[in-house]
Amino acid sequence: MAQKRDLLFNAESVQSIESGCNEWFRTALSEADREAEGRYFSASGIPVKLLYTPADTQDMDYGRDLGFPGREPFVRGVYPNMYRGRMFTVRQLAGLGAPEDCNQRIKYLLDHGATGVNILFDLPTIRGYDSDDPEAEGNVGACGAAVDSIRDIDAYFKDIDLGKVSTSIVTHLPSTSIVIPGMYFAVAEERGTPWTQLAGTCQNDFIMETCVGSAPEILPPAASFRLQCDVVEWICRNIPRWNPISYNGYNLREAGTDAVQEVAVAIANAVATAEELIRRGMHIDDFAPRMSFFWDLHNDFFEEIAKCRASRKVWYQIMKERFGARNQKSLLMRFHVQTAGVTLTATEPFNNIARSAIQGLAAVLGGCQSLHIDSYDEAYSAPTEQAALISLRSQQIIQAETGVVNTVDPLAGSYFVESLTDQMAQRIAAYLSKIEEMGGLVKAVESGWLHREISAYNYKHQRSIETGETKLVGVNYQPAETAQCCNIDVFRYPETYTRQKAKLECLRRERNPRKVKECLEVIRDKCGSGENLYPYTIAAVKQLATLGEIEEVFREEFGLWAFPLF
Amino acid sequence: MTRKVRVVMAKLGLDIHWRGVYLVAQFLKDAGMEVVFLGNQFPEQIAEAALEEDADIVGLSCLSGNHMTLAPKVVRLLREKGLERVKVFMGGVMAPEDAVELERTHGVHKVFLPDTPMETIVSHMYESVGRPRHQP
Repeated sequence: MAQKRDLLFNAESVQSIESGCNEWFRTALSEADREAEGRYFSASGIPVKLLYTPADTQDMDYGRDLGFPGREPFVRGVYPNMYRGRMFTVRQLAGLGAPEDCNQRIKYLLDHGATGVNILFDLPTIRGYDSDDPEAEGNVGACGAAVDSIRDIDAYFKDIDLGKVSTSIVTHLPSTSIVIPGMYFAVAEERGTPWTQLAGTCQNDFIMETCVGSAPEILPPAASFRLQCDVVEWICRNIPRWNPISYNGYNLREAGTDAVQEVAVAIANAVATAEELIRRGMHIDDFAPRMSFFWDLHNDFFEEIAKCRASRKVWYQIMKERFGARNQKSLLMRFHVQTAGVTLTATEPFNNIARSAIQGLAAVLGGCQSLHIDSYDEAYSAPTEQAALISLRSQQIIQAETGVVNTVDPLAGSYFVESLTDQMAQRIAAYLSKIEEMGGLVKAVESGWLHREISAYNYKHQRSIETGETKLVGVNYQPAETAQCCNIDVFRYPETYTRQKAKLECLRRERNPRKVKECLEVIRDKCGSGENLYPYTIAAVKQLATLGEIEEVFREEFGLWAFPLF
Repeated sequence: MTRKVRVVMAKLGLDIHWRGVYLVAQFLKDAGMEVVFLGNQFPEQIAEAALEEDADIVGLSCLSGNHMTLAPKVVRLLREKGLERVKVFMGGVMAPEDAVELERTHGVHKVFLPDTPMETIVSHMYESVGRPRHQP
């Protein structure tokens, strides 16, 4: 028996609409208008037609391709009543200077209605160096907070109930995700907050270590990937409400890809992780429900919405068909969104408020679970308090004033959006197949292929800016004769270094050096084994081992890798 | 035939954002310059490379706040090596007042903030070394 189909239009109607559309195209448009067809593309290169009609979605089967929210294939959203039931989390950045300063900022944002916090680190912390390491010079407390030891995490969250706040720990690298969230879990333990109550996310993405950022000392892709999987495995077994990985399409996109590559690479990493964890004896439903994603919402409004919808569809298909997941939660893709930092201009910075708000709106129309709206001053520095408040307010305007949250997936059924969603899904799947053919993502990274893809995209994109084909308002399009008046107030943090250094000196005096050394030697021994390293790093941070000391063990044991482009 | 303009480019210290500096390096090559791209480096190694490579220009990139500490150090080390003639250019994300200070008091020849067209960078560099553009 043929499967029941839910086609939206009958063949006869489609035929009549198509011929009507052709007739309209011939007679209603001038020759010049007709010739323009074929010259318009979405940001990722999908042809954009002048007009979409039911004919463009004639093959769409409602049940198969869209379904209902909270049900397979989750294109329309991951929860049945979406934002009516659970408003997207307002998650703004908090991280500057010393942990004590960040504590003030977190409280400020929570007092003004934020429901989750994003904690950011300075580069020495991101790359695993202590504040007093010579390599950290000039970067301590810049762009994020300095964290050297468990005491810093304690200070960061002073007087904040860890059982009540949802915390995104933006660690970037697997090698630090196996240490810093461990400090957070250990602090919770000390304060008597059970691990079952902790909610949050850590970023933990080996693509961040090996492709997105360059650095003097990078762990090899296979080692970084192993640590990434250690983090996912251990957290899934021990911190049930924590998302142990946020596949970071965002930073990859910022480094230079289009929307298709952004999603495909992130999913390829999730596929690789799933295979590794299954190899380690876990079942797909043990960990897939806790995997989360992180998208970058750019200027191409409809393509970005289509991307969000398509990414849920591709994920669903892979989890269902390839991995045989049974738990509904394994099948639905949850994602955080940040608006696109690279689209912000230093010229006329207030214009960035408009850009970011529109991108934020696209994220909500795309069904995101949490959102960060960039601040207008981010082309100069991490946001000031005033700029951060405007971002927070932008989110609240979307939530409370626009009405877009009242109904689920409001753009479903748009001929254009559905057609674009379908094409995005196909292109994402095709790019994924390409990566698989190379032997999976770790191999695609080791060979330098992904780096070349990023570099090629950037070159092409920059050319189109130089020629004016890509328009940047106020920069290469309608530049103003007189500059917009805007005082950019930049955070200064010169004393962070001194403060962190003093704390480190004190810590080294007060801890038991023999115990620290023992813990570090255990980690060293276990690096060569297949054993999960997380229990050993937690044991070390409890003994006041510093982040830099643990990372140094990794660098020595796993060796370093040369960035394949330079 | 005149020698091509030689540029040593680096990301300062730990800064991870390679998109911009790598792009600039590609566009400088397109404009007929010879570019030695160091990736991430610290001031000592950058000054050393400028000496070894006989650079006309050192290009530094920073988007993470170490510009006021590390860039002046590069300029100082170049001077110590007798490389006063080497022009130091810089690009990245920083407060405009920092850019002014780097140029006025720290010996950086020119700082380019975001949104700068590549053509502006290319022409400033050729001008700074007083040589006509190399025709590829």
